[in-house]
Amino acid sequence: MAVEMSMPILVVDDYKTMVRIIKNLLKQIGFENVDEASDGTEAFELMKKKKYGLVISDWNMEPMTGYELLQRVRAEEATKATPFIMVTAESKTENVIAAKKAGVNNYIVKPFNAGTLKAKMTAVIGEF
Amino acid sequence: MPAAEVAARVRDSLKSVKSADLKDAQLIEVLRLAQQLTDTMQMFFGSLDRSIHEEFNSIAAYIARTRDEIAELRPNDIKEQRIPVAGAELEAVVSDTERATEAIMSEAENLMAAEPTDLDAYKAHVDEAMCRIIENCSFQDLAGQRVSKVVTSLKHIETRVARFAKTMGVHDAEMTEEERAETERRQRLHLNGPAQGGPETDQSAVDDLMSMDQDAIDSLFD
Repeated sequence: MAVEMSMPILVVDDYKTMVRIIKNLLKQIGFENVDEASDGTEAFELMKKKKYGLVISDWNMEPMTGYELLQRVRAEEATKATPFIMVTAESKTENVIAAKKAGVNNYIVKPFNAGTLKAKMTAVIGEF
Repeated sequence: MPAAEVAARVRDSLKSVKSADLKDAQLIEVLRLAQQLTDTMQMFFGSLDRSIHEEFNSIAAYIARTRDEIAELRPNDIKEQRIPVAGAELEAVVSDTERATEAIMSEAENLMAAEPTDLDAYKAHVDEAMCRIIENCSFQDLAGQRVSKVVTSLKHIETRVARFAKTMGVHDAEMTEEERAETERRQRLHLNGPAQGGPETDQSAVDDLMSMDQDAIDSLFD
């Protein structure tokens, strides 16, 4: 099934600049229905009100980290199937493995480019 | 009252009792024993006095040395100058980089939104935007200078603290409960931060890990 380009995407990062970069990259590849949150708590509140086709989240945020958000998303019936990509500067093997165990769909190491984002999104949500 | 003074007063009292020309042999014997006891006690307390005196002298010398070493550390300079200035420099780096990034991204977004219908006008627009982007890149020079100042201050403080710790024979105390809790939280949430010198695991290695099944990952740790 083709990916709906108008599907809502949630970008979670505490750095406004990074949110803006990701939103621009998403716009470049055709996704413009993008919401933003500055930490896991705010993101989860948005997810309770709206069904997202994809969550792109940073790891290191306060008060709720992206890792905690991922665990919470996977624990809730309403959100557990939401595709989740971690985009982070946390590049230790233990981080990748912890995220995989927690149910992340893909993992991007910062800094990254539009090609990497597009490739990982394709791997998670399908061709677009 | 010092031991020597007490003994002298007891000795005077005994002398005055003896000079009363007592005839009772038993009383004389008691007085002689009292005299011996007083002399013995004077020696004992005298030695205690000396040892306490030496102990206090040594403590006073240690306090004086500590005060000198703390003065060498120049804590007021660190607290009132070095740390606040370093903090202000780092805040300036953050705001400079934010401002420059904001400006560069705005230029880039405007360029992406521009319509190339009139090629000459479009080229002029691109040239102007590129000039502004290049101008904004000058933040790197300022940020570099500011960070250099911070690094110099940190090295200065490190040298002073290291010298103080070595001279005074200071050993690190245990972490406080608050510090321990924060360390445990960071370990539990895998909050390691960016690795120095680039990602510790690059994207292709991450992709390999993501494509492995859980048994294969677990076998890496056997």
